[in-house]
Amino acid sequence: MKDRRLMLFEVARGTAAILLALLVATIFIFLCSDEPMTALRYLLIGPIIKDSGGFNTMSFYTILAAMIPTIFTGLATCVMFSAGQFNLASEGGAMAGGFVAALCGIYIQMNTGLHAVVCVVIAAIVCGLIMLIPALLKVKLGASEMVTSLMLNYIIMYIVLHFLNYNFADRSKGSTQTYPFAETAQIPALVPGGSKLSWGFVVALVFVVIIALFMYRTRWGYAIRMIGINKSFASYSGMKVGGVIVLSQVIGGLLSGLGGSIEVLGRYTTFLWKELPGYGWTGITIAILAKNNPIFVPFAAFFIAYLNKGCSLMATYSDVPAEMIDIIQAAIFLFFAAEQFLARYRQKIVVRNTQADLAKLETVKGGETQ
Amino acid sequence: MPQNEFVVQMVGITKVYPNGIAANRDVDFNVRGGEIHALMGENGAGKSTLMKMLFGLEQPTEGKIIVNGETVRLTSPTVAISKGIGMVHQHFMLVPSLTVAENIVLGMAPTKGMFIDYKKAVEITEEYSKRYNLLVEPDKRVMDIPVGMKQKVEILKALVRGAKILILDEPTAVLTTQETEELFRELIHLKEQGYTIIFISHKLNEIKQITDRITIMRAGKSMGVYNTAEISKEEISRLMVGRDVVLAVQKDKAEPKETVLQVRGLTYTNEWNKKMLDGVSFSVRQGEILGVAGVEGNGQGELVEMLFNLNRPDAGSATVNGQEIIGMPQDKLRALGVSLIPEDRMTYGIAGAATIEENLISDRIDQKRFNKGPLFNMKAIHAESEQLIKDFAVLCKSHQQKVQMLSGGNIQKVVVAREFSSNPKLIIADQPTRGIDVGATEFIRNKLVELSRAGAAVLLVSADLNEVMELSDSLIVMCGGKIAAYFEDTSTLTDAVMGEYMLGLKSQSDEEIRRVCHEG
Amino acid sequence: MSQLWEMIFQSEFLFSVIRITAPILFAALGAAIAERAGLTNMGLEGMMMISALFGTLTSYWTQSWIIGVLCALLVGLVLSLMVGFFALKLKTDIILAGIAVNMLGSGGTIFLLYMFTGMRGNTGALVSENILIPTVHIPLIQDIPVLGDILSGHSVLTYLAFLFVLLMWVLLYKTPVGLSIRAVGENEHAAESVGIKVRRIQYTALAISGSLAGLGGAFMSMYYSQGWNSGMVAGRGFIALAAQAMGQGEPVGTMLSSLLFGLAQALRTKVSALQGASSYLVSVIPYVATVLGLVIYAAATIRRVKKARRTKHVAAPVEEKE
Repeated sequence: MKDRRLMLFEVARGTAAILLALLVATIFIFLCSDEPMTALRYLLIGPIIKDSGGFNTMSFYTILAAMIPTIFTGLATCVMFSAGQFNLASEGGAMAGGFVAALCGIYIQMNTGLHAVVCVVIAAIVCGLIMLIPALLKVKLGASEMVTSLMLNYIIMYIVLHFLNYNFADRSKGSTQTYPFAETAQIPALVPGGSKLSWGFVVALVFVVIIALFMYRTRWGYAIRMIGINKSFASYSGMKVGGVIVLSQVIGGLLSGLGGSIEVLGRYTTFLWKELPGYGWTGITIAILAKNNPIFVPFAAFFIAYLNKGCSLMATYSDVPAEMIDIIQAAIFLFFAAEQFLARYRQKIVVRNTQADLAKLETVKGGETQ
Repeated sequence: MPQNEFVVQMVGITKVYPNGIAANRDVDFNVRGGEIHALMGENGAGKSTLMKMLFGLEQPTEGKIIVNGETVRLTSPTVAISKGIGMVHQHFMLVPSLTVAENIVLGMAPTKGMFIDYKKAVEITEEYSKRYNLLVEPDKRVMDIPVGMKQKVEILKALVRGAKILILDEPTAVLTTQETEELFRELIHLKEQGYTIIFISHKLNEIKQITDRITIMRAGKSMGVYNTAEISKEEISRLMVGRDVVLAVQKDKAEPKETVLQVRGLTYTNEWNKKMLDGVSFSVRQGEILGVAGVEGNGQGELVEMLFNLNRPDAGSATVNGQEIIGMPQDKLRALGVSLIPEDRMTYGIAGAATIEENLISDRIDQKRFNKGPLFNMKAIHAESEQLIKDFAVLCKSHQQKVQMLSGGNIQKVVVAREFSSNPKLIIADQPTRGIDVGATEFIRNKLVELSRAGAAVLLVSADLNEVMELSDSLIVMCGGKIAAYFEDTSTLTDAVMGEYMLGLKSQSDEEIRRVCHEG
Repeated sequence: MSQLWEMIFQSEFLFSVIRITAPILFAALGAAIAERAGLTNMGLEGMMMISALFGTLTSYWTQSWIIGVLCALLVGLVLSLMVGFFALKLKTDIILAGIAVNMLGSGGTIFLLYMFTGMRGNTGALVSENILIPTVHIPLIQDIPVLGDILSGHSVLTYLAFLFVLLMWVLLYKTPVGLSIRAVGENEHAAESVGIKVRRIQYTALAISGSLAGLGGAFMSMYYSQGWNSGMVAGRGFIALAAQAMGQGEPVGTMLSSLLFGLAQALRTKVSALQGASSYLVSVIPYVATVLGLVIYAAATIRRVKKARRTKHVAAPVEEKE
């Protein structure tokens, strides 16, 4: 069948990368902790197992809640990377989206239900439009989208902070934040309790399906993927390469805007981010783990959220700091993205497959000539 | 040096590439010290492979190489250079933003303490430049100098590294007439100083002008060594151009109908100021295959580029069924019914990391039958790809297999399946069977005939004489960017006649050529 | 407004421009040397963070600022070789490898700091005057009115940063290694065909790049902010990439665009002190300036190529990099 052995190999390789990263983490824990076993326990099973031994539902919900924004930024990165566009502005997109949605939530009045949707949609559209900047500069002038999008992150951050501080701050509060959103604009919780798991999670999963369908079941997604693989082929085939490159980045903007706005309206009651939220970078890790395939994004997002939770538990209950997560993430990231990691074994499989094919071909040919 | 002493002896060389193509079969190649030796042959005759082995870029499968009486193993260019062999590649190996002098000393720069002794580099350049009469401007950046000077820089690079045997791979292909003559004077000058030059070319006049001996290759084999003075151009052309095996293609007589493609006065000068197309005019009619023959690099590639909007001409027009197609975007071209089998299938023909199915539908994703609302109609797409795989006998595990896992012949079948199945009115086939196996070749050729008989107009560009003569109903020969001849009926054509037109020994009158426009 | 002009023309302001430019300049030169060898060092930000941390820690342990700076340099070098190993040997996309280093830089540093000292977030408690990078008053120059106030009294590393512009220029244009770096970055095959060891050259360029980032990091923690803290580098590594792009990999051009950033950032500090001005909007200036710089450069390139095509200029076409 369709290269099953190779697929199995890819899975094994991913697992090896993760295990290797965890091994690195374990070594660090043993190096720096006086109670390494406790630390490891919280890191690995703490997120879902209670101290008393049972399944920790509440903690599990928190993990799911943490996936909401990163699923969106992960999807955004999948779409843009698939088109071969190294746009790194989903970071800024999420912040802009959150801020715009917050403003709409404060200053527009509407019915429950509709209000939140309108806020989120406006936020997404604004972010989609923002992404026109790196996209058009790339297509029209050939300016590197990587550099412009990095700069865009900071431009967005400072502009948001400017408006937050000078135009929309609630002066009655000790810290800089907006007035609270109208209750109508808040995204309702999916489960009771303080887990912050809102209906946004369901929306995120719906978008996973939508983007998966978009990428693999529509002509536009198809064009995005083909352009990412071979631009010359795409234009020779009659695809509008420039237009599709712009489209991919605008969709990336829409998705990161969705992520930021849903996170803000689902988790908080006012807008209070004072720096870039980091979801964009996590989104890149997720896209790498998912191999740019939207279907794998929730799994990758879960994995990262789980590790994050594990690390923060570890920091709370043992003497290992939560920032361990960055070391684990970086290690996974490096090995996952390494084409040549264990490549020798891959080559062996390819050679064996080719030889098998050739042998089969020989017998077929032999049969014909007889 | 005694006249009979060989500086290079390649004995019984056989080269089989990993993909199974035998580029050289039992070739003997001997070069005397101090001569200019021509290596001639059509494209794909195996000249380049032979020279790559001499320069250490490829290793022979069988046979041995003797340089200056010593059997050598040339495992890399560095080893070849140390044996006194230098090569000037057809595509220059220069760094554009560095100066001429810097390029010449690259990797062996003279130093004063820690620093490059640039003055010394210029001195070296000037010294060699003067000694060998290869005039270059040491301080100019390579990106700012004309192509003729770039070639001199390449030759100087080899000489500075101590080369006594120079391989020049089609050195005149990029040069203007004046530059070519200058190069010849320089080469003769080098020869007088005892250097040995191996000169690859297809141009008969040039060969006659400057070489001492000629080795002619055809289909991977040597056709013998001749003294240039003792062999006529006609004889060379006969030895070079010829067919070995004739694959029989079943073909009814063409019944051409209305004109589909009309090309008028297409002219193009490339960025090196070389006129690649010079007022090319012809027409292709429904139901016929018009072949374009010629030694590669005589404008055929550019012609195809212009017709499929991969490049823009300086002047001229081309219409398909009356509509101008110069500058028309590819989606519109395809909507008009124009198909192209590109010469470079890995760059244009396929997306390697995509599946066979995705490669088969790339030109038709906007069609209604493959879409249901915003979504693809996967059933229709699967059906289409399965059908195409069956019709075109693509050997694969499933339509979900990645195209890059297929063999060359099967990759080409994927390209052909897509291009032939879109109900084309005009098929441009550029080297449709280059480098693929016999089975796939035969299959593709038969399909071309089948489609033309079903009413498509076919423009077949091929450097494979066998192919172009067998398949074409009528045929034009291109030489130096112009149409050198038009043959209305290919069945009576002989290789010898073709060779003379291809190599520029003869050309027809304008009236004769104009018949290909089919104007009254 | 007049208030602002007054401030700008004070020598103290220009002094701060130079001070602020130095770390960006280190990183931008690092970006440039890598880019000249055909490699994008996306990991500068993280390299600066990590080496900044090790710089302060070592200087505290050894009570020697020199050893601290050397250690920072070494850490930057090791990290860049790691990027090289993954990108060149294991074929990780070099941009992704750089992003991984940035992850290590943002969180890994906090982790490492805790691991070594038990402190969280910053090293303020460890810093004392004697382990900071000392400032130098240049004889003669310091006595020149105005100019002396601007140019004298900077840290050793500040002068080093500007010295490196010259050194980099010499390296690139006057030494065999530089020649090889430029050849590899522009036409790998041409370099290979004359026997240049392409991989070795690429590792060399990365090593220089990482070392410069290391010095930039040392400057940040051991002089600029007097101690390490987690928000310290604040995107300077990314700005460096942009400065490199604006300066087209030329040492002097890179320095000029770095100075532009320094100026914009110094301006920001000044403006935010003014009544009614938004420091946030001023903060945007350097980033917008970069984007504009890139746009202008790109537009000019396109015009040039078009013109060359029209006149059929007798020169090789500009290779479009994908």
